[in-house]
Amino acid sequence: MWLDEDKPILKRDLVLNQPLVNASGILGFVPNLRAQPAISRLGAFITNPISRRPRQPAANRAYLPFPGRFLFHTGHPNPGITRAIARFGRRWAGAPLPVIVHLLAESPGTLTEMIHKLEGLENILAVELGLPPTCDPDMLSAVMAAGAGELPLIPCLSPEQVPTLLDTLNDLQPIALHLVEPRGALPGPGGEIITGRLYGPAIFPVMLAAAQVLINAGLRVIANGGVYDPWQVDALMKVGVTAVGLGSVLWQVDPTAIFPDLQP
Amino acid sequence: MTSLKATIIEIFQLGSEIAGVLDLPVKYWPLTGQYLPCQRVDGGSDGQPTHLFRVVGDLDVLNLAPIPEDWSPGDRLVCTPPQGHGFALPRSAQRVGLIPFKVSPARLLSLAGTALSQRAAVSLFYEAAPPVDWLERVSSQVEILPLASLQENPDWLDYLAVDLEQSAIPEFMDRINTRDLHCGGQVLVRTDMPCRGLGDCGVCAVHTRRGWRYACADGPVFPMEEVFHVAG
Repeated sequence: MWLDEDKPILKRDLVLNQPLVNASGILGFVPNLRAQPAISRLGAFITNPISRRPRQPAANRAYLPFPGRFLFHTGHPNPGITRAIARFGRRWAGAPLPVIVHLLAESPGTLTEMIHKLEGLENILAVELGLPPTCDPDMLSAVMAAGAGELPLIPCLSPEQVPTLLDTLNDLQPIALHLVEPRGALPGPGGEIITGRLYGPAIFPVMLAAAQVLINAGLRVIANGGVYDPWQVDALMKVGVTAVGLGSVLWQVDPTAIFPDLQP
Repeated sequence: MTSLKATIIEIFQLGSEIAGVLDLPVKYWPLTGQYLPCQRVDGGSDGQPTHLFRVVGDLDVLNLAPIPEDWSPGDRLVCTPPQGHGFALPRSAQRVGLIPFKVSPARLLSLAGTALSQRAAVSLFYEAAPPVDWLERVSSQVEILPLASLQENPDWLDYLAVDLEQSAIPEFMDRINTRDLHCGGQVLVRTDMPCRGLGDCGVCAVHTRRGWRYACADGPVFPMEEVFHVAG
């Protein structure tokens, strides 16, 4: 196969010792093995989303259960990249598993600055990029270019973004991409419509189908999937995902009862 | 964190909610206001953990609620040790007020037993007269008073415990000026805590004098002065 002169040659690979990771937003900013011992059996720890500046909880934050499980809207509260590094950098370095820092890619310019701050920290395996729902191919290209540096980039996209961004992802060939929960909307307690991400078993068929599309296109995929059962992990692995992201199942009292592989 | 196993010994109706008795060892009993994330063993299809709170009952029995409708006596549960901060009734408190504001009095009444055991006078301030089935569960030593009477004698209480939904905080502050009461106290803020402190997800965030605090880890019981009369 001839090398494409237009594509950069990246001497990197994403190596995970275990095929399970956590979804961003599920286990906080640092791995806390005391609170959730199953973390020690993950292939990598993915932080909560971190923005350039501190963010407060959304005024209309909500946890809205529905028969498929729940919609979740928080506003991604976080201390901002500078304070996050000051607060968590040493614990990332000392973590017993590699850390993937999830950054909210608000604009290409601010992303460059955020990634520079992360370079040089120990035990950071990669940077995940949370893309806004309105992200188009131009923005994706700009964000990936702005983030290019020492750390591998893993763009996150939800199934509804696949048709719009697939061609661009094929051109960019990121080290991996992370397929994350779809967005949805439900009436809140006062009847107002609240948008957020959907978690729970109901999303699994959508996630499996989207993962298959991406893998058939030749991309490396980490896939969340509303996974609550080992057969769902098997199904995702069978279509060829690199790793499966566990979401709210990690909030179960004893997730090792469902996934014995997570037994520390 | 160690997970614990327990069995539901008994289930009973407590006002509008279902309560149950668990055979958990005493050292793992939650304080009033702390919560116990629980799931049925092999209950993977149950969804997210249910957070059980201590409710009214004899001091030597662990009564918890809300028990989901499809749980039965004999069900085995897996749970974590008690989470969050509960009420800390000062040993010196001699005149204790309880305000279940637009919620069941079940949780606060579990504090009444502790207060009575230290010979405190206990007053339950209630919006309307409690239902008759409730009166059977309230010790005759607990005085039941209308909420409106609270500010008639603002210097009387030396400790106040409040239980309310987070969304009811503004209305409570409109009705009761806790600054006029000249007493310390704590407030149990009811809100969804789906990540139970694991995720720093922020959905249970409560605006306090010291900024945003998370009910799952910093609460759900907060000092009264931290939560009420916070601008914004």
